[in-house]
Amino acid sequence: MIEIKDVTKSYDGIKAVDNVSVTIRENTVFGLIGTNGAGKSTMLRMVAGVLKPDAGAITIDELPVFDNMEAKNRIYFIADEPYFFANSNAIDMQKYLSSVYREFAAEDFYSYLVNFGLDKKRKINTYSKGMKKQLALICGVCSGARYLLCDETFDGLDPVMRQGIKSIFASEMERRGMTPIIASHNLRELEDICDHVGLLHRGGVLLSRDLEDMKCNIQKVQCVFKTTEDEAKAISCLDIMKNEKRGSLNVLTVRGNKAEILAVFATVNTVFFEALPLSLEEIFISETEVVGYDIKKLILG
Amino acid sequence: MTSKNSFLASIRENNKRRLWVWMLSALFFVLAIPVTISITISRQMNNLKYLTEVYGAALAEDAMHERLVNNLCGQLGFSSALPVFTTIIAVAAAIQGFSYLYSRKKIDFYMGMPVKRSKRFRIIWLNGVILYALPYLLGLIISLLIAAGNGAVDGRVLFTAFTAYGVNIIFYLSVYHMTILAVMLTGNLVITGFGFLVFCFYEYAVRYTIYGYRSLFFRYFSYHSMEVSPKISPFVWYIGIADTFSYKNTMDFKYLAALVVFALAIGALSYVCYLKRPAEAAGKAMTFQVTKPVIKILLTVPVALLIGGVIADIVDYEPGTSLKGGGYVIFTLVLVVIIGSGLIQSIYEFDIKGMVHKKAHIVISGIITALIFLVFRYDLFGYDAYIPKPEQVESVAFIPSNYEETYGGVARFDEKGDYLSEEAYAREYMRLSDTEDVCKLASLSMEAYNRLADTLSDTNAMSYNPDSKWSTATLIYRLKSGREVYRRIWVNVGDEQTAGLLDKIIGSDEFKKGYLPGAAENLLGLLDRKDRYKIGAAYGNTVYWEELSQAEIKEFIQIYQKDLALANFTNVKENLPVGMGRITISEEMKGNGYGYFSGSDYAYSTRSWEVGMNIYPFYENTIAWLKEKGYYRDFQLNMEDVEHIQVVNNNTNAYNELVEKQAMEAGAAGVGGIIPERAEDYYRYNSTLDYDSDMIDTRVYADYTDSESIREIASCVYPRDMVNSDWDFGVAGENDYMVYVYFKTDSPMTRRYGSSVSYVFPEGQVPDFVKNDTAYKE
Repeated sequence: MIEIKDVTKSYDGIKAVDNVSVTIRENTVFGLIGTNGAGKSTMLRMVAGVLKPDAGAITIDELPVFDNMEAKNRIYFIADEPYFFANSNAIDMQKYLSSVYREFAAEDFYSYLVNFGLDKKRKINTYSKGMKKQLALICGVCSGARYLLCDETFDGLDPVMRQGIKSIFASEMERRGMTPIIASHNLRELEDICDHVGLLHRGGVLLSRDLEDMKCNIQKVQCVFKTTEDEAKAISCLDIMKNEKRGSLNVLTVRGNKAEILAVFATVNTVFFEALPLSLEEIFISETEVVGYDIKKLILG
Repeated sequence: MTSKNSFLASIRENNKRRLWVWMLSALFFVLAIPVTISITISRQMNNLKYLTEVYGAALAEDAMHERLVNNLCGQLGFSSALPVFTTIIAVAAAIQGFSYLYSRKKIDFYMGMPVKRSKRFRIIWLNGVILYALPYLLGLIISLLIAAGNGAVDGRVLFTAFTAYGVNIIFYLSVYHMTILAVMLTGNLVITGFGFLVFCFYEYAVRYTIYGYRSLFFRYFSYHSMEVSPKISPFVWYIGIADTFSYKNTMDFKYLAALVVFALAIGALSYVCYLKRPAEAAGKAMTFQVTKPVIKILLTVPVALLIGGVIADIVDYEPGTSLKGGGYVIFTLVLVVIIGSGLIQSIYEFDIKGMVHKKAHIVISGIITALIFLVFRYDLFGYDAYIPKPEQVESVAFIPSNYEETYGGVARFDEKGDYLSEEAYAREYMRLSDTEDVCKLASLSMEAYNRLADTLSDTNAMSYNPDSKWSTATLIYRLKSGREVYRRIWVNVGDEQTAGLLDKIIGSDEFKKGYLPGAAENLLGLLDRKDRYKIGAAYGNTVYWEELSQAEIKEFIQIYQKDLALANFTNVKENLPVGMGRITISEEMKGNGYGYFSGSDYAYSTRSWEVGMNIYPFYENTIAWLKEKGYYRDFQLNMEDVEHIQVVNNNTNAYNELVEKQAMEAGAAGVGGIIPERAEDYYRYNSTLDYDSDMIDTRVYADYTDSESIREIASCVYPRDMVNSDWDFGVAGENDYMVYVYFKTDSPMTRRYGSSVSYVFPEGQVPDFVKNDTAYKE
């Protein structure tokens, strides 16, 4: 488990991360969402032990991370622009990583290279941007580290490749409990990968929830009530987060599980009733609007 | 705990990324040095056949061996190429090794890895040392094997080569650590380069600035009191070690220890900075926020003062007498502070707009610069007024500039037999206990000089004045507190009260032993060092010399030193010496820096010094001894050698009068034709008048061949080199008269000097008949 407690980090007097506390459980895919400059990279760099927080503490499985080999052996950090040695090829990288990560899986490394169609002898500086990201991910997965920190790593990967990576994550999570932590500024990139999402804004955490919890706890309902009394009765019995009226059509975003909500609607007369699935984007919009933020501006631009 | 294997594996991995530095090092040490050694040996060996034919096999072999050994000692020892290359490799290894700290991408990668920061430092540091030490050692061994194959290796070569190896490693560590520190303090390659240059030259620039300001603003600043060359510099120490080893064949342990301490201290500081260095400093100009204003001010202030000093020099600023040029200097200081501070800020921000940021730093730099300038300009600490109280002073050294210099030489030695300069010798050996007289002299002289200088618009004018009798002397006050205070004062040697004090100071035994080369006790000590020195002595007058036997040298010096007690300022000033002793000390240079093949044997260069001793008419014991030995001569010229004497009188006064008259006439021809009464003014204010002074010749020649005239002239002339009216403004020569003595063709003097030798009449001693014969008549 990664515990981030009251962490603050400033650059030249400007706060990049301000008093953040988040807990990242093992065996989940944690998505760290935020706009550019929200503090995602700083957060990941601190978790990776690259940066030292000005205040607060970060522990990996209860071990402080900064300059602690035991903790750092459990982490592999893939930066937004991954670095590879000058004029090196995949073999050189494997040799180096094998010398620093005691559980580096060299066989898996070469097997993944073949699966992804990456030439192990080709100089990495001739790889495309996407190929470099794939190689960085393979290096991270094979390092044996329990926590894989990916900074904008999925941005720009094609759907096939994303699927490939997803399946590798799934198998590694199942095999050895790997926990990927993925930072991105794009909510749609993470929707199909993450189990748990933390939203960073202006250096602080707006929310941190399980995606399933969020999905199960919020429902979207379209309906036309027969009478205004029916409408008033239903609304008084529901935890309405948002109510949009388009003529006689009510579009309600309601907190609560589906069964409870359906039970409430069963007690009132409706002309038309439909329960709709919510996208991650919609859930976020609803959740953040409650706390006074316009998520469209923050995440979706 | 890190296992040995993992450490070595890490070193191996790190080396893969430093190949070009390895290549550079290997190219020089493993390729260039052995190849140079081979070529040198081969070129030397080409001469062996010729040497064998000329000098025989045995001698040629010996000579060749000696020559090869000396060449190898030079090339594998402290050659001039080694420190240059050592510096290049050290800088390259340090920057390349830690350059990942400049890049956020690399920092994210390396610092994300499970490698302890301390271990990473150790790996990179050790690799940086190995990539210098290993190729150097390998190249050394290859070179020695090549040399050994040619019979050119002996103990001396091995000792020199491995001593140099050890010293070069320490020097390498010093420069390597200095560069690492520059990397740790900066976040960008270019700024690191600047930082390294600042480390190398900062102390020099500050010392040069202080030196310049002291000499510009302080009337009594002694240039002996400070050296411009840095005290804390691995380069200076290395040169010191190399020079001592090359020329004296010994190790300068003082500099070696300094180099070791420096390497350790800077290494430790670099390591601490590395551990403290924040990862986010990558790519920025400076790593630590706290150092930014400090470094900016520490750079801006001396640079402003330095450039201000240069401008002061260019505009001929004379602070002591007027404010001439002061505006330029102040304008320069203000400008450099603003631009310098702004420029550094814009470098910090990598944005030219930064020029106008942090105005407080500009103000602080300006205030500090102004304060320092004012301290010097108005002598706020009373440098020029300072004369210690006699009771505060333990002893004093009074060092006149070039007093009693003789044609015979002015070499001085310490008790080890090493040469010392006039100032260094006096500093070491002159301890005047009568501090009251010296302080009184300083006070009297400084007061008089202040009065004079304050009335002059140009202090240099004083030195052009023929009636001026001011000479300079350096004073070293050794205070009871242990401090040494240096001042260079102007002494009015023509003043009666001053002369009285100088009689006591210069007449003291302590002054003579600490200043006059012939009075030094060390001189007698040198006579017993026959293992190191070859010593000869002569008595004469710069034209005639009589060689003293080895047995007589010591006796002569002892009698001279006894008679020195009779000398004081006044009697030395009022008399011309009757002759002079000259002790010649020579030494073979056996270090690696010297040596050559002289044709028949391998010879060493020699260096020699001369110690001159003026013999005055009142040195009765010395004169009696010289007479007894038959060396003394009554006249400065042996009449039997003389064929004729030619006297040339320049008639300078007549010349000047004629020049003035001609100029007046030229003026009259110009303006005077219209306004005759303004002709003189025209002449006075127009220096470019159209007249030709080269056409005026007032010289009058007189030749004397009769023995009576020759006898009379010989009784009063002195060899020109013996009449030096130097520091004491003593008896001078009649410079208007030139006396050329032509020797007989069969005289040994002709063989020695050619046709003639130049003599001079002492002041006021020109015989009347000569005056008449050479007077100018229109």
